[in-house]
Amino acid sequence: MAEDPQGGGAGGPQHPVPSGSHSSFPEYELPELHTRVFHVGAFGELWRGRLGAQDLSLNEPQAAAQPTDGEASNNGFEDAAVAEDLGCSLEAAAELRVVCGLDKLRCLGEDEDPEVIPENTDLVTLCVRKGLLDYREENITIDRACRQETFAYEMESHALGKKPENPADMIEEGESILSVNILYPVIFNKHREHKPYQTVLVLGSQKLTELRDSICCVSDLQIGGEFSNAPDQAPEHISKDLYKSAFFYFEGTFYNDKRYPECRDLSRTIIEWSESHDRGYGKFQTARMEDFTFNDLNIKLGFPYLYCHQGDCEHVVVITDIRLVHHDDCLDRTLYPLLTKKHWLWTRKCFVCKMYTARWVTNNDTFAPEDPCFFCDVCFRMLHYDSEGNKLGEFLAYPYVDPGTFN
Amino acid sequence: MRHGARERDVSGRCYRSLFLVAGMAQQGRSMEAPAGSSTRPMGAGTLEGVGIPPGLQTDCETLLSRFQEMDSVRFEDFAELWRSMKFATIFCGKMRNLKKNMFTREALALAWCYFLPPYTFQIRVGALYLLYGLYNTQLCQPKQKIRVALKDWDEVIKFQQDLISAQHFDAAFVFRKLRLDRAFHFTAMPKLLSCRMKKKAQQAEVTQKFKDPNDRVMKLITSDVLEEMLNVHDHYQNMKHAISADKSTPDRALSLVKEDFFDNIKNIVLEHQDWHKERKNPSLKPKLKDGEEDGEGPSEEPERCERAVSLAKIKAKAFSAVAQVSKSRRHRQSKLDSSDSDSGSGQVQGKATKRKRTREPAEPAGRKQRPSRSKGDVPNERKEEKSLRLSMPVITEEEEESSDGLSKAEFTAPKRKRKH
Repeated sequence: MAEDPQGGGAGGPQHPVPSGSHSSFPEYELPELHTRVFHVGAFGELWRGRLGAQDLSLNEPQAAAQPTDGEASNNGFEDAAVAEDLGCSLEAAAELRVVCGLDKLRCLGEDEDPEVIPENTDLVTLCVRKGLLDYREENITIDRACRQETFAYEMESHALGKKPENPADMIEEGESILSVNILYPVIFNKHREHKPYQTVLVLGSQKLTELRDSICCVSDLQIGGEFSNAPDQAPEHISKDLYKSAFFYFEGTFYNDKRYPECRDLSRTIIEWSESHDRGYGKFQTARMEDFTFNDLNIKLGFPYLYCHQGDCEHVVVITDIRLVHHDDCLDRTLYPLLTKKHWLWTRKCFVCKMYTARWVTNNDTFAPEDPCFFCDVCFRMLHYDSEGNKLGEFLAYPYVDPGTFN
Repeated sequence: MRHGARERDVSGRCYRSLFLVAGMAQQGRSMEAPAGSSTRPMGAGTLEGVGIPPGLQTDCETLLSRFQEMDSVRFEDFAELWRSMKFATIFCGKMRNLKKNMFTREALALAWCYFLPPYTFQIRVGALYLLYGLYNTQLCQPKQKIRVALKDWDEVIKFQQDLISAQHFDAAFVFRKLRLDRAFHFTAMPKLLSCRMKKKAQQAEVTQKFKDPNDRVMKLITSDVLEEMLNVHDHYQNMKHAISADKSTPDRALSLVKEDFFDNIKNIVLEHQDWHKERKNPSLKPKLKDGEEDGEGPSEEPERCERAVSLAKIKAKAFSAVAQVSKSRRHRQSKLDSSDSDSGSGQVQGKATKRKRTREPAEPAGRKQRPSRSKGDVPNERKEEKSLRLSMPVITEEEEESSDGLSKAEFTAPKRKRKH
């Protein structure tokens, strides 16, 4: 309690009682599912008020930096600090260092391999794991990580511990990191049980637009129209460049992207719909996405919100976690929003070569055994056009962007 | 109940080692937490598996209960136990990186739970040592961190101050070291939250054996003891009456105890209980919150009620009037009713959504991939949507099995409602 900046009045309430308004103390509203509304910036402030400089520091750990040279003096220094912090004598501190040393926890000898489960163990966890290992050994010829697993691990850890080249890009101490799950909009039947999503880490001080720009969704890349007569003219300008409107919805407010003059207020229809009758949604607010950082938001953790772009491509957005930045995190702020998890989507292959990802889809195709039929660019042209590029046969051709493009 | 479960647990260990497949290990898991914990996704076999890895809770509790038996809070004793159990080997055994990270995170989160109330001081110290051990012996690179939620931090700091003021320097040293090593992630909530991806909330059972008794006075003077006192006192008074010359008033020479001794002690006990409640009140709200999340709320509540009820009973008895104990605790009926009506209206609703679903693809014309037609063997009733086609190809859903061959995909509207 002593470090509690708010509990100044002795014995005051430790937790501000949630009065329905925005308390910045995250609390469960539905246990295990989501919290009550709180303010992201104020939450970070509460943590920073409770922690010391050492807790927040992003510098290299000092103790490990100089283990060999001048160990004795280092230990002496250490002991003095311990004695001061705990209010014990220097001798006691020196004794503590020995008694609580990490070597007291060592269980494996130097020659023992941590990969091998020791014989005659009492630990239930190990017995279970051993059973699984034996099972794998019996049933699987080659036991190795599958591609997806390697991929997932790499995604999770690729940026860990990265330092910026330019010191100005260093993340500030005490910055908060939000994990945002962005669900894929197209809900396949096979994803009924498990909704695929990607996880992105964003900084509290980043703008909503920075997250919006980092979300890659195939519907931004779609090219509208039929191009069987002029496949080369399949325009370069994709939907992303044509339709720039988008919004995030958090806690009763639509944050519309208004950075470009051609941006439209996509939320207007919804608000009008909600206000046309008393539909019980209360009053919705609108705001400009580019004016808000995550620290400015009031949110519930774990609660489903919305990101909508391309008119009706709707992604459920769930903020699953907020924490303070740690020395082991990626400290280069230019790498945020940082993608740490991505669903591995199946790609549709070209019907001819069965190798490359499809780029065209045809209807009413006299050459195709199926309708619709998918082709990669090379096979599509080879089959449907002569060497002069004249169209052969009857078909409708549409550019196709596979959802797995971002794998 | 919890005790029984634990005993079964320990005896179950011999055949636990026979478990070969994750599915069977699941059974083992469900034995550990018999009450409330429904099927939990397994960490054992699956990549996605979140949840406490099988056996881990048993192991931690074994270590902690042995530590409890030692009746010590010294790190030396803990370290000795740790070494004798070879607890660091818990990270052994060909776990690949992803799994290793996940396992370590779960282990730290599990150990962390024992570090917070309502566990006894000794268990909390044990949990602190356990965290220290797990954190420092883990094989992950970089090390997985211990998640601390904001709401728990004040409690932790208070505990650290208690440790220092009680001169338990080894425990305080260990905590200080963890903090200096930056072993913590300072988070909003203990777990990652996402209401979409979880089906059922899992309930963690509070191990009764480790729990700090709410009230030590009440433990000493239970309602049974009080009742016994009342009986003895009555009997004593009656005897005095019996042996006195004047049967109505006992001999003055026999008046050695205060007549109202029982009433006094009863009042003192009640007063203490009130005071105890009062004292807890400021923190009662968050406490109950915790209880809810741990699922220990319901188990604690009846206990408290029970005590109050039995006290009231004694009080009533002392004034020789019998109180009726209300036992009505039925809150399931309404649920039955609602499910009933649900299934009744379900059909109507089903139709409604069906109709809506068929209409759905027509409205947003802005979509780039609109269903227009589907040929081939499409075993789906929504073929009739053909009529609504735009000049766009139909992209059907690809099934995993047929990823290479002809796609016999079933038709799916891009934005279809979930079927239940």
